[in-house]
Amino acid sequence: MGRTIPSANQYLIQEQESFSRFRRALRRSDQLALDELFAAARKHAAALSYASHALPFEVALLSMLLEEHKEVMRLRQIVEALSQQQDG
Amino acid sequence: MAEFSGWLLDLYEGQQSGVVLWFVTREAGRVRLYQDFPVTFYISGAEKELKKAGIFLQSHFPFIKVIFTSRKDLYSQNHIPVLAVETQPARIAALVRRISKQFPVLDYYDADIPVAIRYAAQFETFPLAYCRVTYEGEQLQAIEVLDSPWELDPPAPPLRILQIDLDCDPRYGKPELLTVHFDDKEHHIPIQYESSSLIRLNSILTNFDPDLLLTNSGDIWLLPHLLEMSKRTGIALNFNRDPNRPVMIKKEGSYFTYGRIVYRGQQALLFGRCHIDSRNAMLWQDYDLTSALEMARVTRLPIQTAARCSPGTGINMMEIITALKQGVLVPWQKTHGEEVKTAYELLRNDQGGLVYQPVKGIHENVGMIDFISLYPSIMTYCNISPELPIPKDLGNSPFPPGLIPITLKPLLEKRVAMKQHLLALPPDNPLKPYYQARASSLKMLLVCCFGYMGYKAAKFGRIESHEAISALGREALLRAKEAAEDMGFTVLHLYVDGIWVKKEDCSQPDDFLPLLNEIIERTSLPIALDCIYSWVAFLSSKQDSHMTVPNRYFGARQDGSTTVRGIEIRKHDTPAYITRMQEDLLGIFENASTAQELQDLLPRALALVLERYKNLRAGRVRLADLVVHKRMSKELSAYRVRSAAAIAAQQLKDIGQPIRLGQRVPLVYTIGHPGACAWHVHIPLDPRSVNYAYYCKLLVRAASAILQPLQMDEAALNTYLISDGIIQIPIELL
Repeated sequence: MGRTIPSANQYLIQEQESFSRFRRALRRSDQLALDELFAAARKHAAALSYASHALPFEVALLSMLLEEHKEVMRLRQIVEALSQQQDG
Repeated sequence: MAEFSGWLLDLYEGQQSGVVLWFVTREAGRVRLYQDFPVTFYISGAEKELKKAGIFLQSHFPFIKVIFTSRKDLYSQNHIPVLAVETQPARIAALVRRISKQFPVLDYYDADIPVAIRYAAQFETFPLAYCRVTYEGEQLQAIEVLDSPWELDPPAPPLRILQIDLDCDPRYGKPELLTVHFDDKEHHIPIQYESSSLIRLNSILTNFDPDLLLTNSGDIWLLPHLLEMSKRTGIALNFNRDPNRPVMIKKEGSYFTYGRIVYRGQQALLFGRCHIDSRNAMLWQDYDLTSALEMARVTRLPIQTAARCSPGTGINMMEIITALKQGVLVPWQKTHGEEVKTAYELLRNDQGGLVYQPVKGIHENVGMIDFISLYPSIMTYCNISPELPIPKDLGNSPFPPGLIPITLKPLLEKRVAMKQHLLALPPDNPLKPYYQARASSLKMLLVCCFGYMGYKAAKFGRIESHEAISALGREALLRAKEAAEDMGFTVLHLYVDGIWVKKEDCSQPDDFLPLLNEIIERTSLPIALDCIYSWVAFLSSKQDSHMTVPNRYFGARQDGSTTVRGIEIRKHDTPAYITRMQEDLLGIFENASTAQELQDLLPRALALVLERYKNLRAGRVRLADLVVHKRMSKELSAYRVRSAAAIAAQQLKDIGQPIRLGQRVPLVYTIGHPGACAWHVHIPLDPRSVNYAYYCKLLVRAASAILQPLQMDEAALNTYLISDGIIQIPIELL
């Protein structure tokens, strides 16, 4: 028993570690933002695994984008609600 | 010829030939019978080599019968030419060893099957089967089984049970008193008076004549120690009912399984009665004698073996019985390797179950729906077996049932029937634990059969079938998720075979019924509403507070019970003091039925943590409650950095109590060098040297695991405790 291919979570950890030199050279505030991007990718580890994509980093990037877009949608809703309040 | 009805208690090889059977009867007491029972193993391979093996066997072992015949191979589904070798059960192991050494290139079949399993395949017997037996003298003439392993309420045998307890754990001290229980009586036997204690034990064994001997540490200490005493004093001790046999001692060992080292202690096995050591019984901690007996009945392994073996071995034996009944060859060593795959196929197939990150926080009225024995159901309903083509989709198979589905079907049906029976019983019914324990051992077997299919040494395993099962499992779970979302439910979590959902105004079982029907419609697999949580809290990861982890949550069910997963309370290496605090915290919260009520209970919970914290900091704690048990994952000499476990193991080794691989080391954390002290009666521990600060840290971490959904994480809790309960700042303000 045992698996040949690393799990999606293992893969994401390895990928994040491979960017450690890049991360080190970033400002602290940027480092924290980068960590959040990887955390966003980890939220979709199950889907990344299910996708069985030959280039999983593309799926990881899409997961980051997905979380970013969710945040945009949330903020847009708040802005719209606020502007409606103002107009009202 | 005479006849009686009774229960089959034990079955083993006769010393020279045939088998010995022991029966429990109401009228005639315990009966021993003999039966002629030759066994056969098979050899296949190149014709020339096979003929040579035949000549070798006939010339060297004139007492055996050798014939050329053909028999069905499971994987090719064809009859292949084989050499059939018939011998006596007591001789087969040595014979196979000898011939396989002489002819290593040949393939051997049916070579390592326990005699009880062969007998079960031929006569439909199983341990504690109710049988009608015809005999003449001491010879069994015919046996008819009147019972079935699939019976929900089998006729109960009048078993005589003798239990021997020790006054202390022999791993950590020297026992001095035996407490013997039988027939509602209790006898105390001081062990230091060797001759008199042996005489008293002998008298109890002879007069009470137990069928089952239950001990605690009987395998590793009690039986070997008493036998040693018997040798020293010259007073024979009759543990066995069969006077011709000595107690069989099987050596200890460690093995690697599911990513960890497991220690299996030595075994002391009896003939004519059964010895079960609760410390060496695989499932004893979780279940009890009932489940060990259930395991024996369905796997057909002798009671002593079934109590000690892993569920994987049990499933293997059940598969072997199906193969023997169908005349299929049972490979000795598996030669069927993994098929060649493209990189894409590997990428796509080499996956486990679908596991999501749950939505963090406290949720109310959450329905937990799970597929009933998902993987065994897929194997049975989709007909997945190593000899059959891999199905591509959920649904019925066009092929006749394969070896694995045939084996699993009655087991699965029995578990479902038992679960339904349990649901129908009122909560206070005294029989509930009896059925619960048996249902749990059936569950263990079913859980293992999937993993066993992918195990490289499994006799009837095939990795492609194993992958197909998990692929169909992912498909079923995704269809369930889609059904829930289509019906307006929010999917909070998905975990291999379970789905957590909530929807406004859905709080009663009937509210979830349409969803259950829809999932059954889409997957064709049985599913049930496991429970409705009044509230459930999904916790964040210890490493990253932004993330949740799949199996770290706790909640209160509508029926009043609680569920806890992944927190300290469930871990073996948590000191009792901390486990108790978590239990008490959960006890405070279990009566809350809404998130607001939980929040209202926070001050009470915080007061409890503060009190326990103060007691711990001041050292007002029993030392025994601070003991942690760490597993030895490698040999002592292999530790490069001396962990607490390695330090304590070294201390135990120094006093002549070595710890084997996979065993747990009991220890207490101490200040300064070396940082840990083994917990043993002969190793002094100064209470002033205990590292209370470290235990306080563990306590805070454990408390925050439970209080974190109420905005009290580790940092907030630390501030609260250090300020003596004055400063209480929720997480968002920190």
